Amino acid sequence: MNALSSLLSLAYLGLAFLAPSPVSHLFGLAALGVTAFLRLSPTWRTLSLALLTLAFTVGLMRSGNTLGLIGLVGILVALTTLPRIPTGIRVLLALAILLLSVPLAGFANTFVFELGIQIGIYAAMALGLNVVVGMAGLLDLGYAAFFAVGAYTWAIFGSEQAKNFLQGNFPLPGEYMYLFMGIAIVTTALTGLLIGLPALRLRGDYLAIVTLGLGEVVRILANNLDHPINFTNGPQGITPVQRPPIDWFRQLMATLGVHLDRTTDYQLFFYFLVLLMIGLVVLVNVNLANSRFGRAWVAIREDEVAARSMGIPLLPTKLLAFMTGAAFSGVMGVIFAAQRTFVSPESFTLLASITILGMVILGGMGSIPGAILGAAALTILNLDVLKTFSEFVRISLPQIPNQVDPAKYERLVFGLILVLMMIFRPEGLIPEKRHRAEMEEA
Amino acid sequence: MKALEVTQATKRFGGLVAVNDVSLSVNQGEIFSVIGPNGAGKTTFFNLLTGIYPPDEGRILLFGKDVTGLPPDRIAKEGVGRTFQNIRLFGAMTVLENLLVGMHIHIHVPYFHAVFRTPLARREEKRAEEEAKRLLEYVSLLHRKDELAKNLPYGEQRKLEIARALALKPRLLLLDEPAAGMNPKETEELQAFIQKLRDELGITIVLIEHDMRLVMRISDRIAVLEYGSKIAEGSPEEVRTNPRVIEAYLGKGAAGGAA
Repeated sequence: MNALSSLLSLAYLGLAFLAPSPVSHLFGLAALGVTAFLRLSPTWRTLSLALLTLAFTVGLMRSGNTLGLIGLVGILVALTTLPRIPTGIRVLLALAILLLSVPLAGFANTFVFELGIQIGIYAAMALGLNVVVGMAGLLDLGYAAFFAVGAYTWAIFGSEQAKNFLQGNFPLPGEYMYLFMGIAIVTTALTGLLIGLPALRLRGDYLAIVTLGLGEVVRILANNLDHPINFTNGPQGITPVQRPPIDWFRQLMATLGVHLDRTTDYQLFFYFLVLLMIGLVVLVNVNLANSRFGRAWVAIREDEVAARSMGIPLLPTKLLAFMTGAAFSGVMGVIFAAQRTFVSPESFTLLASITILGMVILGGMGSIPGAILGAAALTILNLDVLKTFSEFVRISLPQIPNQVDPAKYERLVFGLILVLMMIFRPEGLIPEKRHRAEMEEA
Repeated sequence: MKALEVTQATKRFGGLVAVNDVSLSVNQGEIFSVIGPNGAGKTTFFNLLTGIYPPDEGRILLFGKDVTGLPPDRIAKEGVGRTFQNIRLFGAMTVLENLLVGMHIHIHVPYFHAVFRTPLARREEKRAEEEAKRLLEYVSLLHRKDELAKNLPYGEQRKLEIARALALKPRLLLLDEPAAGMNPKETEELQAFIQKLRDELGITIVLIEHDMRLVMRISDRIAVLEYGSKIAEGSPEEVRTNPRVIEAYLGKGAAGGAA
């Protein structure tokens, strides 16, 4: 059994190199399944994972097929969840995947970068929402509103939009984006305060409905604030939004021997920026979870009366959770605006809020690796798997009517996955120990 | 100065007067019991003291300070710890974390220090953890510190709840039926423990209890509630022989029979 997994991995490595095709990648995913789920000795398992990492990377480089990316995500999950793998190897392999494999794959197929950046932005937001929903237990259905506030904070001043109501030299140069990441923390936290003050006096379902409503208010404001004074340019959105200059990044890469062309340089830059942000967000998440604030949030979620009797003030503590989550989302909004160079109200619908919430629930409420995995799974599903599948259907079954195009059933599949999750694994894909305990109780 | 001074407190729920014009005072360092038949309003009375409900009428003074109508977290900060009739631990947190939540108001880490886990934050967290461990040792639960609170046996959960209230460093400790569900031996240990708290830590203790043996042995003074009103107050001996109390517990006519 031990040797089998490594043999399979090795076979896939050969296939990936010689005959990279969707079929061989599926074989690779099967090999990963064998490695992850069969009883293996730690050494063999580690060896197989390392081989598979190499193989998926090679496969991605040679074919650019995004099934390989799913494989890499799978390996990352295996590295975070499987027991008895040496910590050094976990870290090393994970870093290799994030810093080498994905960029290498991105050069073969820039769509990998696009996916990576989207996953990253959503993962950071899912981690922010994780503070609000997972730790403090406040069901927020309007979370995309903070994303919008962050995005518009930079979009308005990083484009000519600000000229409509301010004297000055707009757009601000791209370097200001970094400053605006800080400013967005303030503006979104203040928005959080504004929404939270009335909403957080309510509980449970009532809170969910009110946040849903206020979230929509923000989107509708963005849609309609093009008159009397044009702040947001309404439904047309704002474009072009400035991106930071990255000459230093190009030079840095050139000294490392990587020569970037005009299409990949910004993609790679934003990929690394998003990666850095996730690192920071995870760090802050962990720090807060192990502080008196994190404990106070969990205590409030568990038992409000008991928490208050311990001297924890209800509204301020909930507000703090709300504002913290909002700030994470705001920073990612700035990056989102700069990366797309385009911002419009369409990106901040109720569906966006629900998708982010879905990521948190899918991954496991309160769990940090869970939130990231949830973001990866749903983003890949939305942007890649369903689209690829519908293309496949269109090519192989051209007589099939347009109405049953699988891409149109994205939401159906999404809903189906959530329903199946709630039935078979209600605690999420990578549950946090606390929530697992709560689920067992129920 | 009294530890607790309640004047004419009243709480109504719609037409029901749960606490009716109750006045009483508790001296510092006293062990004071509140007893009464089921539904007499004892727990509601506790909830008035801890701010879970504001009283409709009357005033509540803690160590000379008027706390009437303050929210529970403010009253906790005045040095009032409490336990609940049906244990309310944070079940999915570990034993140690439960105590750390209890110490919330004594851990001084500003938000931005917590976000970046600065040296100050580390130091404070470490100090708090040491203190929580000492407290766990004091109630002999240290060996359980990493277990989830809900996995503890019933007796230890009761103990942990008291420890969590102690983590607040209270001047006044309110215990709501601490001996509920305990066998005679456990009750005896509890009695010694409560007395130790008063003698060693100087905490004033008010308890609601149904176990009359415990109440009579431990209390300096006792107040009796019936239908929300106070019908008697005094030393255990006085309360035991009070005809109104006997009537409340055993029904009309029993007082004559007992005399």
